Amino acid sequence: MLAASLFLFALTLGLKDNPLVPIGPGFYPRIVLGISAVFALALVISDLFQKPQEKKKESLNYFLVVQMFAVFGLYCGALPYLGFRIATLLYLGVSNAILEPPRGAKGWARVAAVAIVTTVIVYYAFEHYLTVLLPRGRWTDF
Amino acid sequence: MFELLANGIAGMFELKYLVPLFIGTLVGVVGGALPGITITMTVIVVLPFTFGLEPLQGLTCMIGVYVGGETGGLITSCLLGIPGKPSAVATTFDGFPMARNGEPGRALWIGIWSSIFGGLLGAIVLVAATGPLAELALRFGPWEYFALFILALSMVAGLVESSLIKGLLSGALGCVVTVLGNDPVMGQPRLTLGIGWLEGGVPFLPVLIGVFAFAQIMGDVERMKLSSKGLAAVTAGVNLAVSHARVLWDIFSRPVLLLWSTFIGLMIGVLPAIGGSAANMLAYDQAKKFSSRPEKFGTGIPEGIIASEASNNANVAGSLVTIMAFGIPGDAVTAVMLGALTIHGIQSGPLFISQNAPLAYGMFAAYILAHPLVLILLFLGVRWVLRVVIIPKSILYPVVLVLCVVGAYALGNTMATVYVLLASGVLGYAMVKSGFPLAPFILGVILGDQIEVNLVRSLMTDANLWLFVTRPISALLLAMALASIGLSLWQHRRMQKKSAVAEGAADF
Repeated sequence: MLAASLFLFALTLGLKDNPLVPIGPGFYPRIVLGISAVFALALVISDLFQKPQEKKKESLNYFLVVQMFAVFGLYCGALPYLGFRIATLLYLGVSNAILEPPRGAKGWARVAAVAIVTTVIVYYAFEHYLTVLLPRGRWTDF
Repeated sequence: MFELLANGIAGMFELKYLVPLFIGTLVGVVGGALPGITITMTVIVVLPFTFGLEPLQGLTCMIGVYVGGETGGLITSCLLGIPGKPSAVATTFDGFPMARNGEPGRALWIGIWSSIFGGLLGAIVLVAATGPLAELALRFGPWEYFALFILALSMVAGLVESSLIKGLLSGALGCVVTVLGNDPVMGQPRLTLGIGWLEGGVPFLPVLIGVFAFAQIMGDVERMKLSSKGLAAVTAGVNLAVSHARVLWDIFSRPVLLLWSTFIGLMIGVLPAIGGSAANMLAYDQAKKFSSRPEKFGTGIPEGIIASEASNNANVAGSLVTIMAFGIPGDAVTAVMLGALTIHGIQSGPLFISQNAPLAYGMFAAYILAHPLVLILLFLGVRWVLRVVIIPKSILYPVVLVLCVVGAYALGNTMATVYVLLASGVLGYAMVKSGFPLAPFILGVILGDQIEVNLVRSLMTDANLWLFVTRPISALLLAMALASIGLSLWQHRRMQKKSAVAEGAADF
């Protein structure tokens, strides 16, 4: 945060003032970025001087979180290429299977059913009743 | 005022408003009851469905979600011992023991009726106070607005338990988000980093949706253990039969508790971005402190349930007062509502009531009518709600995230807002994991532009900086902001000393 604030602060120095107004576009960003840099520095210093605290060890499934973020990132990336219907169908199926791995044919059938039904309902609700146009796929034209 | 309110209530009985209110309330009750799904997330899910509606229809639906969610959260708190939402945590302390002691119906209905009374008492303040407060705010110049927004940010940052610096940094980071893109005064491009769509600035709604939805969902994904089958077993065969006369006596025989808890809920609601989670804990704590039998708290007594539930529903009214009078969100749910207003081109702030009187009084009416609707819904279908609670998270979470994508995309029919959503999701989760509070960040994102506009306006009107401290209201607000930070510094020091003493004692 400190580095980002300083970097953006440096960028504001290159902003040109508008001759029509006495206060330029860099005025407020410099204040905000300066303040955030000061707070970030204060945090770094306080962390350096603070006694290390023993944290309770809790078994958390970070791998699952990473998988979920990765699948969601792929979904967002695929939306303009595959279109809402195909990308959402795949996303729902994959993320559902990651969160609760299906057992046997019945489990996979449930995953498929949830993905299909949800995609159809969401698509029809928004496209046909709420007049929200959802992304079409560049590759699929669907 | 009363004529406008009567018109608002009469208008709410039109099907075009009653249906969204009913659906919103129903979704709110279910969303509130689902452990792991907060009201904020429920209102985020509902948001894209309101884009195609009239402003009042959409806001009515959201108010239904808000009121329904606050009441729905107590169902699982009382019957399963799992709070449906953070603002029902304190309900668990006495609601669940009462249910385990063989009175699940009594626990549940004391909570429901207390919510209704707390909410309706809050409605009196909502209707009576919003107009005068907005009139007061109309006298504000840019100096006062600037000071007010600084006060809001400092209060929220100061209320953070973990670290004051993290709270302040979080708020500053929120303001940093708003400086990316064109400057709001002259529209000159700045800090766009070569990204074309950033020229229009970062839209706050996808940021809000991403930060809250991902922080909540990924936080739960880390701990996905509780089986829905387990919940199914617990919810089956619960006897909810109860004498409502006895339940009402339980509440009305403690009028001071009901009024004081409602007052606490209202006050916490009025404070920016704090929300019901603080209200129910504070009200419970107060009820215990002033009780003649504090030792009984936590064993299943009505006082604990009344305090928690009356306060969290009154908190909704308080939050609505702040957003309607000042344009400052009282919590995350009203922040989403603020976004909905912006989408419909309605300017929030002190002029909101005078310029949009039918809309404002329609919102009051929706808030009032949502309470009897909740009551009817729960009379008819509390068992059905319990069944919905067993929907597996593995199905629910991906669906919620898809609706977040739809909501973000529909804001401008562009993928850019979806990418903002994704980036905000990662940022929100990282912030939570690093101990940064989200509330100051969100408030910074919402108020950042307004802080800039008012600061620049004030300096362009008169470059004299002393005006910020010589104009009485501005000076008072800035002094309160300083006092808020000072107070929180003092509290943090005191807590540190206490924990140091405790550690020292443990060594011996």
